[in-house]
Amino acid sequence: MHHSSRVQKHIGDPLSETPILPRAKLQEIFDDIQNDMRYDHELNGCLNCGICTATCPAAHYYDFSPREIVQLLWTENLEAIYDAMQEKIWACAQCMTCAARCPFGNSPGGLIMIMREAAIKHNMESAKNVLRPFSRVMLKLISTGNQLSPDMINPDHFADWGPNISKIDAPLALLRKAIPMATLNTTKTAWEVNLKTSVELYTIWAETGVLNQLETIDENLFDVISDIMDEKRDDWSDFLDDQDD
Amino acid sequence: MQPTDTSGERFTGHGSEWRDSNLNKSDAQTATAWVEQRINKRSMLTNKNRVQDVREIMWQLEKDGEIVVHRINDEHDPVMAKTLYGWDKKIPTNQLWHHKSCGQCGNIPGYPASLLWMMNQFETKYLDETEQTSCTAWNYHGSGIGNIESLAAVMLRNFHQAYVSAKAEGKPEGYYYPLVHCGTSFGNYKEVRGYLLTSATLRERVKTILGKLGRLVDGKLLIPEEIVHYSEWVHVMRHKIAERQIIDASQIRATIHNACHVYKMVPQDVIYDDEVLEGDRVAVSTGIIQSLGAQIIDYSTWYDCCGFGFRHIISEREFTRSFAIDRKLKIAVEEANADMMIGHDTGCITTLDKNQWIAKADGNNYEMPILADIQFAALVCGAHPYKIVQSHWHASPVEKLYDKLKIDWRAKKTEFEDYLKQIEAGGTREMLYDPRRAITGGPGYNKTAALAAEAFVPTAI
Repeated sequence: MHHSSRVQKHIGDPLSETPILPRAKLQEIFDDIQNDMRYDHELNGCLNCGICTATCPAAHYYDFSPREIVQLLWTENLEAIYDAMQEKIWACAQCMTCAARCPFGNSPGGLIMIMREAAIKHNMESAKNVLRPFSRVMLKLISTGNQLSPDMINPDHFADWGPNISKIDAPLALLRKAIPMATLNTTKTAWEVNLKTSVELYTIWAETGVLNQLETIDENLFDVISDIMDEKRDDWSDFLDDQDD
Repeated sequence: MQPTDTSGERFTGHGSEWRDSNLNKSDAQTATAWVEQRINKRSMLTNKNRVQDVREIMWQLEKDGEIVVHRINDEHDPVMAKTLYGWDKKIPTNQLWHHKSCGQCGNIPGYPASLLWMMNQFETKYLDETEQTSCTAWNYHGSGIGNIESLAAVMLRNFHQAYVSAKAEGKPEGYYYPLVHCGTSFGNYKEVRGYLLTSATLRERVKTILGKLGRLVDGKLLIPEEIVHYSEWVHVMRHKIAERQIIDASQIRATIHNACHVYKMVPQDVIYDDEVLEGDRVAVSTGIIQSLGAQIIDYSTWYDCCGFGFRHIISEREFTRSFAIDRKLKIAVEEANADMMIGHDTGCITTLDKNQWIAKADGNNYEMPILADIQFAALVCGAHPYKIVQSHWHASPVEKLYDKLKIDWRAKKTEFEDYLKQIEAGGTREMLYDPRRAITGGPGYNKTAALAAEAFVPTAI
């Protein structure tokens, strides 16, 4: 079989009897989506009116339609759901315009989040590829509790933002020091995050399975973050010991 | 119009069963006009009878002894506002805990600084402290890393900290009420609140986690009475803010970009005000800019998103910049002939501000000053354009706006550059509040003595 198009690569030859994945696996993926506590809230029915797609920003630029996603889930089209999880679900800009407009109260954007979580859980290569360039944000967030930091915004990373990322030519640390809020005189985090807060956040990550998600999607990043977390937990223990003394 | 290719090779995004209707352009427009309704109040009222006010569940759960509600009391000087369906929403205006935005603080620091500066004008009591995290929803919406439990636990941890934070200052629990700066945090927290209030399972799961963190109140989850966005504070304060205005803005043509996560997520909780655009659109931002006397200019894509996309602004920037340029900036320049575009959320301001320069590569020049509502309000009330509004972090040509407002930005810029030299030489810094108050617990709390040694002067009023 000649595999020339993305369609064939991911859902196989439409004329072939052999599916790309065993039916049981497709069902398992769908069950994970359907068993999410939000699923029944986000999907109430669909008459194919297309209001969601009419003002979807992603539909302007991608091969993507929130209406199609809702229909695939509503009709439990397992093969096509799996195919949509390869690429289409990552096109959504998460603006939730669809949810605000749907006459049925569906949230296609919310359903897509459930599907993205499932794509990660099932270790889909597509999720790994899509999220690789996003790893800086994940590193920053999971290790510090901030999603973005001043040192991430620089011309090396954002050449397309032009020469005016800062209109005053001065070292970043000095410019940050000139912000009249004591919490913002930082360069590596958006604000100074208390150590106690960071350690509490690590507990949340561990207890809610976020670290497992991270390990699935990027083992190297998981290792780096684990080391940082261990260090900060040690610092916290030392602090508590000092308090006891 | 050519019929759809049915060979199976073309992937339209409409599903394999889809066939082109082959209508001519005019007939196609007639056939689809009904789906092009805007996201105004009238279009969203259709769901009114099917939407429950989750705050009713909240009060019942408290009555049943399952949760504790962080109340907005008289000490918070509340002002009542009306939301989409005419429901009341209580907006606290005093004793506020600033729940910061990572994007604002990291990238647009004049945004929170302007808000705190404005609060100083009213001698509003507030706390800006280090014991808080991002809501984590930017990462979640971008990557799918995270889940409803992690989002709920992060929210409850941050709100619990707001509740207990005043104890570090010898004040009672509940003294400070959380004010959420980021639009995505605001939308996300409201969505998560809905799930928390309607799902006993979710409450049970996060209660275990919050218990491990020591973040329960009398063994119960703590939920704030209202989830309040800073723009709502600005809105209910708009007439008082306008009384402090010293720079005339009547010649300014303003377009408003409403943030999706502010008014499209949990839309029933969003303020609509009969004084603003006949109550037909979200009132925040438009209300303050109108009160400051600028001209509100409508434009055809007002309801569109900015193109931020969460992950897209990092790794699919072609989409982000194309959408920002084609659907927002171009329209604001060519159709509205605007002097500025005003927003009320982190990602939108960043996207619209930073994606102008690249348009020149395609031969287009859509220069449009981009500011947050509170930055503009602070400016026309006399805040320093660089020390407070920090507009040097904005890539868009805000200087054009300053010229029109008759602000001598060159002189102000020189002042700021001199101030930088002064700081570099170890001179005193101007601060919006006593920096010792920023740390309320943990190892940093020991820094108090060290911080006390650093001299600072309050920023000029």
